[in-house]
Formats: sequence, C-alpha cells, structure tokens
Amino acid sequence: MKLTVDGNRCTGHGRCYTVATDLLGFDDEGYVTARGQVTDVPDNQIPFAREAAGTCPEGAITLIGD
Amino acid sequence: MTHVAGEDQDVAARVDGKCPVIHLDVSTPLTVGSYWQKADELREGSPAFFNSIGQGYWIFTRYEQVRDMYQHPEIFSSESITPWEPDPAYRFVPTQIDPPEHSKYRQLLSRWFAPNAINQITPAVHELGRNLVAGIAPRGECDFVSDFAMRFPTEVFLTLVGVPASDADLFVPWVEEFFRGFGGDQAQQAAMMQALGGIRGYWAAALDERRAEPAPRDGDLASHLLHSTVDGAPLGDDLILDMLVVLVLAGLDTTRGQLGYLFRHLADNPDDRHRLAAEPALIPSAVEEALRLYTIIFGDGRKVTRETDFHGCPLRKGDMVYGLVAGANRDPRVYDRAHEFVLDRKANNHLGFAGGPHRCLGAHLARRVMQVAVEEWLAAIPDFRVATGEPLLERGGGNMMALFSLPLAWEVEGA
Repeated sequence: MKLTVDGNRCTGHGRCYTVATDLLGFDDEGYVTARGQVTDVPDNQIPFAREAAGTCPEGAITLIGD
Repeated sequence: MTHVAGEDQDVAARVDGKCPVIHLDVSTPLTVGSYWQKADELREGSPAFFNSIGQGYWIFTRYEQVRDMYQHPEIFSSESITPWEPDPAYRFVPTQIDPPEHSKYRQLLSRWFAPNAINQITPAVHELGRNLVAGIAPRGECDFVSDFAMRFPTEVFLTLVGVPASDADLFVPWVEEFFRGFGGDQAQQAAMMQALGGIRGYWAAALDERRAEPAPRDGDLASHLLHSTVDGAPLGDDLILDMLVVLVLAGLDTTRGQLGYLFRHLADNPDDRHRLAAEPALIPSAVEEALRLYTIIFGDGRKVTRETDFHGCPLRKGDMVYGLVAGANRDPRVYDRAHEFVLDRKANNHLGFAGGPHRCLGAHLARRVMQVAVEEWLAAIPDFRVATGEPLLERGGGNMMALFSLPLAWEVEGA
C-alpha cells in the first residue's frame, strides 16, 4: 500500500501523525513531512495508515492499493 | 445590527422553495445542549436555510457543505466571520485575511503554535495545571469555569508567548468583557470595545518596552514580531497589535468553553472518568471526541466574493453565510453513533478547529491544554460531580459557546 498527502489540501491539523506515529512525522510548522509525496506503507502500518486517512478533516490523504 | 430594507428584499427575492427560510436568533443564552439540539434539527431539516434575522444570511448545516465552505476561500472570504455583522469594527490578522496574502502573516506565527513549540512548553503546562488543581482540590468544591477553565489556558498562553503567567489577572476580565458583546448583544458593544482597548494597550506597552532592543528576545512573540518582515518591510505596530489581540481573543475563551463541556461530561460519566484515569493514553482521543460532540463553534461565518450556486443556494457577492460546525460534527452521514461520546472513536475528522487555510492556529496548543487539564485534574480529584440541581446555562451560539458556570464538588480526605 502507498499513502499520498495532497499538499494543496493539507493545512497542518496534525491528526494523521498523531494516530500514525511510526509512519508519519511532522516539520517545524506542524505539517506532516509526507505532504505532497507518495509514502510506502509497510504491512504492519496499514491499520495506522487507514486511521490517518480517516481522521484527516481536509480529506487530504489517499491510500493507493487498499 | 444594521438593517437595510432594500437589501433584505433583494436577498429574499432570490430565496426559492428549495431553501427554507427561518428566523433564528443565536445570541440568547439557553440551557446546556440547546444549541446542539438546534443544530441537529436544522441539519436533518435541510442542508441549507436562509436566516431572515438582521440583514439575513445563508446557513449550511451538514459536514460536506461546511467543509466545502472552509476549503473554498476564493468564494467564501474571511473579511467577516460573523454573519450578523458583515462589516466588523475590528480586524483580526491573519483570521480575516484571505489567501494569498494570508499565508505571509500566518507563517510568522505558525512555528510558535506548532507541535514542536508546544512539546517544548509541555513540562511548564503540567506545572501550571498541577499548581492550579493543588490550590482547588482541598476546597472540595469550585466553579470549574471561573476557577480553572478560564485561568489555566490564559496562564499557558502567556507562558508560550513569553510574558508573565501572572498577567492572567489582567487578561481574564478583558476576555470576559469582550465576549459579552461579540455574539451580537448591542447593549454590550461599548464594554466590548473598552476591553479590546485594554488588551491592545497591554501589547502596545510591551512593544514599546522591546522596541529599542537590537535582537529578538528568546521565546518572546511580541519581540519576535517587532523583528519580523513581510515582503521585506517591517510589520508596523498596528498590524502586530492586530495579530497579538486576536491570539488572545481566539485562544483563551474558546479553550475555556471546550474545557467546561468536557469536564461536565466527566463529572456526569464516572465510567469514562475512571477509564481515562486508568488509561491516560486515551486522553487525547477523548479530547478529540469532546471537540466533535461538544463543539463550541455553533457556526462560522464567511462573506461571499462572487455570484455562485452553492449546493442549490443562489449566492451573490456580499452575501453572508454561516457554516454550522456543530451540525457538521454531529452529522450521522459521517459518524457512526454520532450523538454518543465514544471515548476511543476512530477516524474522528471533526471540524472543531475549522478547515482550509484558516484551520485554527492554536489547535495544537488547545489540545495540549485540554489533555494536561484532564490528566492533572484526575490525578488530584479522581471523582467529582456537578454540584447543582439547577439547569446549567450556555452562552449563545453567536459567540463561541461556553457554560457560564459549572459548580463541581468532591469528597476531601480527612475533612
């Protein structure tokens, strides 16, 4: 599975990296570092990736291959 | 409220049968829960209404519409965020600045309120919370709203921006006075403007004290803003004061409101209270659930920039709209068990901190304040109850909602 964060939609709510601490990190301004990128999701992180996507108030996270 | 008859008729003529017309005053205090009930009724009645009060404004009631409003600042300007006051006498920066200018000002502040900055002051937040609770616990009773919920976020905020926490003595009454008028109560406008003057004067004095210093003071936001530039030019006092004032107004009263509802829930629900005391790792998700179910933002206003059809509503430039955040956050189209407090809820994508570019700057701070409040309170006062048989009153939804008072009581050992 892969995870993408739409850089135009993400506004730094920080919900994703709070629920998927081992998968996603944040920068000095509070944005997820995966913003605007494609991130590989290891199998053991799949439940956390789903939770991250579901918890984003902007609907900025898309899971590919789920 | 200004009332222009010609404009009223103009708007009324555009409201067709698809969009029900209501006459709703959201400024009056009601018994606790009334505004959420109203939000539920409106949302299930129609996705959009026209409210004929004052100059009139559109109301969007469901999650999808409210998020759409937030995510389209090019249509929904923040020039006014109060639909009953399309041309406000104050200017909040960056709150009322639209993209693309908005991000220039927002960036000056974002690091100060980002998770790294909040993590850095978290030990101090615990200490402030522990001290406040330690002063209250032996009494066996308190008014949670005035004794803790207003005081704690104020002390934390002042610490974060680098001024003495004890200046909460000044800020608490100013913020109280301001919000007596902000929700549309015309009798309170003079007191509101006077309180605004007090807050602005405090920061103006702080700027004067720091102005001559060659380098920014470490951990001091006022000093940092004096040394900041936008498009190569210094900000100037007016703009800096617009920013510092809105941080005070947006941050303190809101957290107070949210804490009041959260602690009322904990007082009334011993199972949730005991579970959080036993499993503090669940506190963050309980805080998110309080932000969703007990949303203090009844609605959020925007001003329409151009003629457009929005979910069937024929909007025109200058119209005011009101996204019912309380309706969105309790929308059963989005949430299972939408009207229950689910302590470990998953996929909680609530709009309690708004959405789009104006997403609450202080969200990370507010969350931490609430998390620490629960943790420190439960450590000292694990069991407590609402100590009145009278119905609790909440401030109208025209403001951020808040309980006026929350009397709590608990047993004191050895008393």
